[in-house]
Amino acid sequence: MPPGSLSKRKGVDVNEHQSQYVIVGGSAAGMAAAHTIRAKDVRGTITVLSEEPDVPYFRPLIPFLVSGQKQPEDMALTGSGPYMGADIAVKTGARVAACDPDSRSLTLEDGTCYGYEKVLFATGSRPYVPPEIEGTGAEGVFALRTLADARSMAARAARTAHAVMLGGGLLNLKAAFALLERGVKVTLVVYSPEVLSQLMDPEDAYLVRKALDDAGLTIHTGASATAIQSDPSGVTGVALDNGEELACQMVCIGKGVRPNVEFLQGSGVAVDGGIVADRFTAASRPDTYAAGDVAVTHDPISGAPIMTALWTNAVEMGRCAGMNMAGIKTAYTGTFGILNATQVADEPFVAMGVVHTRSGDYEIHRRATATTFRKLVFDPGGNRLVGAVFVGDIRNAGLYRYVIRERMDVTGFKPAIIDHTLHYGHFIC
Amino acid sequence: MSQPKEIFVRTDRCVGCRSCITACAVEHSASKTLFGAIAETPRPKSRVYVEWVAPDHKVPLVCRHCEDAPCMHACISGAIHRDADGVVRTDADKCIGCWTCVMVCPYGVIGRHLEEHKAYRCDRCPDREIPACVDACPTGALVYQTVPAYSGAARQHASRELVQAEGG
Repeated sequence: MPPGSLSKRKGVDVNEHQSQYVIVGGSAAGMAAAHTIRAKDVRGTITVLSEEPDVPYFRPLIPFLVSGQKQPEDMALTGSGPYMGADIAVKTGARVAACDPDSRSLTLEDGTCYGYEKVLFATGSRPYVPPEIEGTGAEGVFALRTLADARSMAARAARTAHAVMLGGGLLNLKAAFALLERGVKVTLVVYSPEVLSQLMDPEDAYLVRKALDDAGLTIHTGASATAIQSDPSGVTGVALDNGEELACQMVCIGKGVRPNVEFLQGSGVAVDGGIVADRFTAASRPDTYAAGDVAVTHDPISGAPIMTALWTNAVEMGRCAGMNMAGIKTAYTGTFGILNATQVADEPFVAMGVVHTRSGDYEIHRRATATTFRKLVFDPGGNRLVGAVFVGDIRNAGLYRYVIRERMDVTGFKPAIIDHTLHYGHFIC
Repeated sequence: MSQPKEIFVRTDRCVGCRSCITACAVEHSASKTLFGAIAETPRPKSRVYVEWVAPDHKVPLVCRHCEDAPCMHACISGAIHRDADGVVRTDADKCIGCWTCVMVCPYGVIGRHLEEHKAYRCDRCPDREIPACVDACPTGALVYQTVPAYSGAARQHASRELVQAEGG
């Protein structure tokens, strides 16, 4: 199809649409980009194509649907927080099957075509289901990712006395607590020596672990599932590699995510794990951009390419892409691979930057009380903060993030960092 | 539209008396009186902070309602928005207490209400003409002004000092 033919035929064929900005993906990165574009370009047409059946929502809230504390309407993104832009057309149930950067067009699975002037790939990621576990297709096996998943999980929870969670990451912990709230007995099976191994070293996680144990979670570490057993009613149990068998009616898999890049096959857009984005969030073909879980970006400290699956990062990169798409050239500062704040079982914690220090040369300061733990990680010279873990007391965590990200020379206030008494006054006096 | 006023901090004037902290906590109490506030459970929280830096600097800190508010964009539940007056507000009903805002605020001015499991910050005292902290400050270290008026005053002050230094 020659370039420009789409716009000429606009309105003739209902299966062909033209929009100045087309955004593939209706979650954090996509919607942040759409609203940023709208703030900078009042008139440009913006179309968001989302494969999900639900209108955009705050994905991190879906465990509350499982617990029953929130309903889908409480999670709607549009009209909440900074998402106040008008005239953003969102097409739900629109799964993009192919992209042709030569003709600047996208084709949906149902054959509908969308022409664009600029396109953002913000297709996010999907749960990784380890192929070595047998029987993951059974009813009652979940990998909590979408609102639709949360709905089915909530429905199944009503018939579940015992649920087994495979994987000890944050998502599975949130899901575990949602189920606990509903009175379901929950067992967590973790291959690593400790929970949250992505966010802290095992010896640093003891307070979080204690809080989880106290909250009533049963945790098996150093074990993994080999098979999920089922009958026509769905899941009946999980077999572990240590020979144990756990009878259960629900299994939740939280083993990380993989980027959704398949639709770019044959498009010429460079993919290396995820979509390769330059410093200005541009993908490799003209007028293509990438942001969020699907994009490969860089760590501001090491400069190494990384991919993250965090809402906050996705929003930040999506906003940056939106600026660039609207014609305001904006460099993306990159992101730490680890940047998490949350609270599980009444235990708040923050992990950011370099938190795994078993290998590598670092100056490490650990302090612990009965209810708090902190670890501050400096470079070998001791002048730069490169990572921090706070458990129990997360006061002023944003200042430490700022010090890490800006690579500040900490000579003037290093004792305050180690003592966790840093405040903004240290930066200006 | 008239320029909205903001709270400016003059660290050179702060003597560290913490009157702002008391006034803020009282304003955000149920009774709105000092004696009532002291007796309340949970204890009313101040949204303004006074920090100290050696040798003897006092630094009042309060939410700046940043133009590009990191907390608002980082919030994973849509609980933070900017109102028509430019004030960045945390909606307690929507806040889930995940503390992402605390992790991204570079000023350290978002508090954690542990009893209610909600984040809180300066709301610029919506029921008052002048925010309680500014009203209570006895030294003029907290100033409630529009940006042009405040920067104009700062320029005038600087020019006067310059003229004086030059012996004029």
